[in-house]
Amino acid sequence: MRPVVEVENMRGLDDIIGKHKVIICAGSGGVGKTTTAASLALRAALMGRRTIVMTIDPAKRLANALGVDALGSASTEVTADGAPVGLLSAMMLDQKGAWDDLVERHAPSEEVRNRILANHFYQHLSQSFAGSQEYMAIEQLCELHASGKYDLIVVDTPPTRHALDFLEAPQRIADFLDRSVVKWFVRPYFSAGWATMRLVNRTVGFLFRRLEDATGVSALSQVSEFFSDMSGLFENFEPRVRRVDELLRARETAFVLVASPEEQVLGEAEYFLQKIDELGMSLRAVVLNRVHSEVDGSRKAIGAEKLKPLLRHLGASDDLARVLAANFEVYESLGRGDTLRIEAFRRQLKRQVPVAAVPNFTSDVHSLAGLRSMHPYLFNEEGSVSLN
Amino acid sequence: MAKPIRSDLFDRRLLVNVGKGGVGKTTVSCLLGLLAAQRGKKTLIAEVDGAGRAARLLGAQPGEVGMAQTVRPLLSVMSVEGSAALAEYLQIILPVKRVIQAVLASRIYQYFVAAAPGLKELMTIGKIWYEAERIDDASGERSWDLVILDAPATGHSMQYLSMPRAAHEVFRSGLVGRESQRLVDLLSDPLRTAVNLITTAEEMPVNEAIEMYGRLTEDLQMPLGYLFINRVHRAEFDEDAIAQLGDPARLADPKDRALAAEVIRRAREEAGWTAINASYLQKLRDCVPLPAVELPYVYAEEFGVEQVRDLVAVMDVALGASGRRSGKHARA
Repeated sequence: MRPVVEVENMRGLDDIIGKHKVIICAGSGGVGKTTTAASLALRAALMGRRTIVMTIDPAKRLANALGVDALGSASTEVTADGAPVGLLSAMMLDQKGAWDDLVERHAPSEEVRNRILANHFYQHLSQSFAGSQEYMAIEQLCELHASGKYDLIVVDTPPTRHALDFLEAPQRIADFLDRSVVKWFVRPYFSAGWATMRLVNRTVGFLFRRLEDATGVSALSQVSEFFSDMSGLFENFEPRVRRVDELLRARETAFVLVASPEEQVLGEAEYFLQKIDELGMSLRAVVLNRVHSEVDGSRKAIGAEKLKPLLRHLGASDDLARVLAANFEVYESLGRGDTLRIEAFRRQLKRQVPVAAVPNFTSDVHSLAGLRSMHPYLFNEEGSVSLN
Repeated sequence: MAKPIRSDLFDRRLLVNVGKGGVGKTTVSCLLGLLAAQRGKKTLIAEVDGAGRAARLLGAQPGEVGMAQTVRPLLSVMSVEGSAALAEYLQIILPVKRVIQAVLASRIYQYFVAAAPGLKELMTIGKIWYEAERIDDASGERSWDLVILDAPATGHSMQYLSMPRAAHEVFRSGLVGRESQRLVDLLSDPLRTAVNLITTAEEMPVNEAIEMYGRLTEDLQMPLGYLFINRVHRAEFDEDAIAQLGDPARLADPKDRALAAEVIRRAREEAGWTAINASYLQKLRDCVPLPAVELPYVYAEEFGVEQVRDLVAVMDVALGASGRRSGKHARA
């Protein structure tokens, strides 16, 4: 079968994984980001590039296939039957405890580290600190990039409400620790600083009185202590955020949008495209998973009456011929719907980028062979793989 | 082990729909809303991720955040967002307008709202509580008989649902502690609240549903309602039947050969998904002991009014029967 949506610029995705150093697969939840990232990485490795795929939450069997089934695995060479698969490595980010990791990693001293980890406020609420998982993924990316060990890093992004959360995470953490504002909170709660501020500024004074009512004085001093410790944690945070930002906007970094041809998913994809443009980052390709297609895209309904005799000829009973013909018809209408939605989506694309359509496989893609089976739809398989 | 459902799902005040991203939570929330309204309940669908999906699915343009928008008789939708909810809350508890405006405009407030961990989640649940308990000033009646919360994807919903308890633990003595307690009370009351798990019968969504079931029953101790399994394939033929067909190559006309091959390919796709679904339906039966409602895969060119109506009819039958059964069960 040929993909029904013609892949424009067929060399597109091969070019993209051949030329860039970082590929970020973004998109809303449940559209096959993880498998797409792994499949792209496998291809690059087979082309001879030293490649690593950073996965976030792979299905167990896929994690197994990639050799990263232990939580928080460090980078591991991917092997099949004991032999390395091209130059492919994989790693899995541990989503849980991302803030604990940040604290462990950046605490200026053991004392501060222990104090933060023991803070009542921190313990209960650290799960909901903004953007920690996304930030950890980006920090990991920067480290891998700086290590120079890989020609290409393919990143699977965390399942966020909006794909953009990932891009904005560094800035959000920077805001979270904005020293010019945080300094009001980081003074010990009973210090002169707070008292003065409360007297000087009526609004602030009012706010703090209300805050005391709201949280209770002891909780407030815990909060204050927490912020005070945290602010020391990120002494060099600003330059780091700038480096991350530069990497996300670099020419060697490509975004690949992963989506499926459902109305809602494409709606979010359009929003993502608009935002990524505004942020000055570059979208290089779109991969659509679970695409149904029509028979040669003719858009002419092929009636059941024409099919039944054919099936009878192949030995089907009347009943079987009837249900198979009916099944064909409903799949044709699925194909028609997907084709129309994809065409409308393509018209929205400002710049021409390759759009690859991967069919709805009948089994979950969980093995290296499964990842490989996506390649004919992602890349031009007819020409030989060029390594220049 | 889950407690059996004691009354009709729609007799609750609050239904919380959770599940992995992409399984059709918003669709199921809309179907439940349509059915509840059809059964005479004044219903609000509250959408947390703010993308206005529910409104669009029901044929309306998304309205202003925090404002209910009537989309059908007895059915409204609303986008809920934490910082808007906090501003609304402050206007209720702080009586002086001038002070409020000064507070809302101040940089420290804006910083605090953006950075305070869990505040947005807490205020979102607070807003849901407010709507669920709200009394209409003019009529003296409840504004809504039922509020349906279309929660964000699993990881985020856990943050939302666990926040009232966490806030209560941290701020026991203050106002936040007391207010949080009221949210915890609502969320854990089996007479007022039910959490529905939404999934598709595929590996990752099912794993998340099972994990979520464990966390909801053990860590959060929230009352559970139904398991909704979306997009279920039920082919009337299986791989064996397809395998017994003759080779299309035996057909004389090349066009017929190609066509027959395509018919067989699609039959395999359908039989394959039916088999995948069947094995995960079994896994769900083994691991998630909740009354289950299966919603069929929709084979239409577009998911429109007609498809929504058909699924509401499926749900009507499924919930009607289950509701009566468990009603009897409870009396027995």
